[in-house]
Amino acid sequence: MTNLKISALDYVEQIQNGNISAEDFVSETVDRIKKVDDTLHAFLSVNDDVIEQARAIDKKIKSGDKVGACYGMPISIKDNMCIKGSKTTCASKMLENFVAPYDATVITKLKQQDAVFIGKVNMDEFAMGLTTEFSAYGPSKNPWNTDCIPGGSSGGSAVSVSAFECVTSLGSDTGGSVRNPASFCGVVGYKPTYGLISRYGLISYANSIEQIGPLTRTVKDSAFMLNMICGLDSNDNTTVDNNSEDYLSGIDSGIEGKKIGIIKEMIADGTDPAVLSSTKDAISKLESLGAICEEISIDMVKYSVAAYYTITATEAGSNLARYDNLRYGYDFPVEGYEFNSYIAKARKNFGPEVTRRMIIGGFVPSAGHAGKYFLKAMKVKSKLTKEVNEAFKKFDLLIAPTVPILPFKLGEKIDDPVSLFLVDINTVTANLTGKPAISVPFAISNGLPIGMQLFANSMNDKLLLQAAHALENTVKLPEVPI
Amino acid sequence: MVTEEEIERVSKLMKIDVDDHKEYVDKVHAMIDYFDILDSAGVESEEISMPEIPISQLREDKHVPFDQKLIEKLNNYKGSYVRAPKMS
Repeated sequence: MTNLKISALDYVEQIQNGNISAEDFVSETVDRIKKVDDTLHAFLSVNDDVIEQARAIDKKIKSGDKVGACYGMPISIKDNMCIKGSKTTCASKMLENFVAPYDATVITKLKQQDAVFIGKVNMDEFAMGLTTEFSAYGPSKNPWNTDCIPGGSSGGSAVSVSAFECVTSLGSDTGGSVRNPASFCGVVGYKPTYGLISRYGLISYANSIEQIGPLTRTVKDSAFMLNMICGLDSNDNTTVDNNSEDYLSGIDSGIEGKKIGIIKEMIADGTDPAVLSSTKDAISKLESLGAICEEISIDMVKYSVAAYYTITATEAGSNLARYDNLRYGYDFPVEGYEFNSYIAKARKNFGPEVTRRMIIGGFVPSAGHAGKYFLKAMKVKSKLTKEVNEAFKKFDLLIAPTVPILPFKLGEKIDDPVSLFLVDINTVTANLTGKPAISVPFAISNGLPIGMQLFANSMNDKLLLQAAHALENTVKLPEVPI
Repeated sequence: MVTEEEIERVSKLMKIDVDDHKEYVDKVHAMIDYFDILDSAGVESEEISMPEIPISQLREDKHVPFDQKLIEKLNNYKGSYVRAPKMS
């Protein structure tokens, strides 16, 4: 019986040592999915030919051919990233039959490293949500307590890693969509500096702030994934040159002497007492490792959620305009329709959350309202960035709980959009400012995971991963109960 | 306060067919009402800063042909044109 609970780095080591074969591992992973995914619903589709792919990689290993760094590792992919020839639905009825004609850059890079894409995983429709309840194909469940939401929008990614249905996953993070589900499912979720990973082939929601990021069992695995998928891309002009940095090397450097700012506004009223207590515990553990921790105030955090939703709804209103039923959509015949009603009829199939955000996306930047909403949101974003940059003049890192509350029951907040907004309060700052942030599983309260979030300055991802690795090593959490 | 009429007008502009506008009024109103917090941020004099990418760092402005005829993946096309319904 193969141990499916190993980290990505352990998988590579065991394959290299000949202790396991890619075919056995992938085959048992498929069995695991069959066993648990009826309950968890992490996957929207599982690829048919993964065992053949793994067998081909084993053959390459045996014949001494050059093999990529993934060695047939099963990886799940959020269903908003294009894999050529595969369905990419964005968990929407709108793209139910959309087959991607090209690979996203991250997919191309992972294919070159002999990854096996085990399947596409669930998400909130078009990544709009933080519970996975807004998927047109039904919600995913939290493996720690299946009555609870797994977080989102990359909920399927987090569930699949947490429940051993793959080794690692790729998600996308627009306002916390990697870190939030990672925190709720007890895995590592990492949003790199904006531009470090190409977004080419990621279906757009809010381009100016969204970023692909890995969900993994360990911080080292996140560094491993980053090494493979980062870098300049001529297909994405927002990508930045990282000078071929190796994020794994020196990851054990520790954090002695590092100054860490505790963001006051992210542990304010409304923070669950268990989350607050875990935050204090994390701070004292970091101090025991030689870090110097002090409180800092970032005033604009209070306005960040309103700014975030205003900006993302505006960008979504523009991005989703492409779903006109002519190039994307249902492809029903054009005869008998007037142009506007034809497009409107197709868009009726957007789910309620996407429809709401499209309406808001039309409202907040419109003449007469732009000054009050959109422009003010952009000013908050600018001032927030200034304040965070100031903070990084004094501190190497910042810390806050990833989410101020514990995973909640399915359906509990679905009819209360403002209460859902506030779940994002600690994560949107990294997106609005482009800074890297990572959620590390840190504690379990009442059987549910709590993640701790670290931030670093732009392009200081290596330091961030070193600190996260140090924090991760201070705790040993129980195994997921499913 | 966002009115039902405003939502109807915006959804028409966004080309979204919504059966029951009332269904959306409460939630959209709650969301936009929350955005009013921006009024107390005191950012009126703030300048909007945007990340800048020097032109020298942009890729060459050159046509890169795609290896597939995407138009053939559509059901409604004629020659090299997408077929669309008549404009009113």
